[in-house]
Amino acid sequence: MPLSEVYAVASKDIVFESFDGEAVVLDLSTGRYFGFSDSGSKVWQALSSGVGTEALILSAAGAAMVGADALEAFIARLVELGLLAPSSATPLPPPDDLPAALAAASEPLDVSVHDDLADLITVDPIHEVEEPLGWPAVKQVP
Amino acid sequence: MPRVTLDTLPDYARFLLAAAESAAGRFPVRRTVRLPGLDLTAHLDAGALADAMGEAFIETSGDPPDPRQCHIFIGHPGIGDMPAPASWGDARFTEHGFAQKLAEAGLRGHHFHDLDFWQVYDPGRRVGVQLMRSADAYPPWEQGAPLRAFLHWEYAARGMRLAHAGTLGVEGKGVLLAGAGGAGKSGTVVAGLLNGLDSVGDDYVLIDLGNGVTARPLFSVLKQDPKGFARLGLERRLGTDRPLNWQGKHVFHITEIAPRPIPATLDILMLMVPHIGGGETSSIVPISRKDAMIALASSGIAQMPGERESGFRFFSDVTRLLPCYRLFLGTHPEEIAGTIADFLARAPDEAERDHAGP
Repeated sequence: MPLSEVYAVASKDIVFESFDGEAVVLDLSTGRYFGFSDSGSKVWQALSSGVGTEALILSAAGAAMVGADALEAFIARLVELGLLAPSSATPLPPPDDLPAALAAASEPLDVSVHDDLADLITVDPIHEVEEPLGWPAVKQVP
Repeated sequence: MPRVTLDTLPDYARFLLAAAESAAGRFPVRRTVRLPGLDLTAHLDAGALADAMGEAFIETSGDPPDPRQCHIFIGHPGIGDMPAPASWGDARFTEHGFAQKLAEAGLRGHHFHDLDFWQVYDPGRRVGVQLMRSADAYPPWEQGAPLRAFLHWEYAARGMRLAHAGTLGVEGKGVLLAGAGGAGKSGTVVAGLLNGLDSVGDDYVLIDLGNGVTARPLFSVLKQDPKGFARLGLERRLGTDRPLNWQGKHVFHITEIAPRPIPATLDILMLMVPHIGGGETSSIVPISRKDAMIALASSGIAQMPGERESGFRFFSDVTRLLPCYRLFLGTHPEEIAGTIADFLARAPDEAERDHAGP
C-alpha cells in the first residue's frame, strides 16, 4: 500500500489519551481499545497530529526500533484498524524532540487490540464475557 | 407490533416517557431509595424487582443536603395504558449509534433485543421509564443491580461515574480494584471483608473526582462462583441453601460479611489490577498507567450504555490521579487481605517511590 503524505485520525469516533507518554485509543463506534508500545505511541502521536509521513521516516532514521519497513507496515496496520486515514491536509513538521524520542524507544512498533469486551462480542453484563447473550452488532429484521 | 428505527428512536423514547408519566398513579408499588445526592423513586409492580429495590442498595444514612429527586417508572402492559414494547426495526443496530441518536435529543437509553426491553431516561427532568413485556420480562442481571443504567446516566450527567470496580479500604483510605471479569476482583473484595477490611462495594461503585478520588457505595450485592464460595469459607458462614443466580453464582449481601458498617466513602489512594498469579503469596508491583487505564475503562465502558467518550475521559483522569499497581494474588484470603492492608498503610511512601506523580 503506498503511503499517504499525511494522515489524520480516521473519524470523530476515534478518541485518545496519553498516559506518561503512552497512548490509549478508543474506537467509540465499536468499544475496542488500542494500546501501543513506546515507539508505537510516539509514531501514533506524530501521525495523529498531522506530522508528514516523509518527515516522520526521516525522524526515525536513527532509531533502532523504528526501521522504514516496520514503520510502513505499522502505518498500514493503523489504517487497516480504522484509526488513521489519508488526509489532504498540509503535512506538519515533526516536533524537535521526535528523533530523540524515537531513538530512545526500547520496544518495537506495535499496536495491541483489546476487544474482549467490545460490542461484537459482549454486551452486558458483566463477567461472563465468554457467554455471548444474543446481542450481535448486526440485527437482521426477520 | 410496531418497530423502532434509528430515525424514529427519539420520538419513541419521548412516547414511552409520556406514557409512563400519564400512568403514574396506576403503578401498584412505590419504592424510594436514598443514594448519594439522590432520592431515587421507582414506580413499579409488585414482585421480584420490587423486592430487589428493597434489598439491592446500600442507602445513604443521615440527611444529606438537598438530594435531587429522580423518578423511574418500571412498566408493562396492564399498568394503566402502558403500551407493549416495540421491537427494533433497522437491519443494523450499534450501541454507539443508538446512544448517539438519543443523546442528540437530550435523552439516554438502552434496548435489549431479546426481550424487547427498553430503558429511556431524560436527565434534564430526571424521569425515566423501563418498559417490559410483562412484570418479569427483564434481563436476569437487573435483579442484582436494579436500575443501574439510570444511575449511570444520572451520575454521569453530574460529572461522576459508576465504575465497574471493586473496593477495599482501611480507616477511610482505599484501593480501587479494576479489571475484566475473571481477574479476581470479587474474590479479593470478599477476602478483604472477611479479614477486617472495609469495602464500599464490588462490581459497581460511584466515583467522584471532586476532591481527589472518592468511592461511594450504591449496591449491596456480592457474587461468588461455587468454587470461590467454598475456597473463601462462605459455605460455612452463609450456607448453601439459597438459589444460585443466572450465572450459577452464589449471591449475598456485603453487610452479611462486612466487619463493621459500610463506610459512606473511601478516599481512593491507588488503583490495583488483580491478577491470579498462581504463587503462594501475593505481591504488588507498579504497572504503567496505560495498562491500568485499559483494565479500568474497558469493562466499565462496555458494561454501561452510552456516555462512552465521557467515560473514557473520566477514567483517564482517575488513572492519572492514582498510582497504579498490579496485584498478583496469592492463594490464602487472609494473606491477600494483609498484603493489601499493609500496602495501603504505606501508601504515601510507596506512591512516592514508584511514581513520579501524575
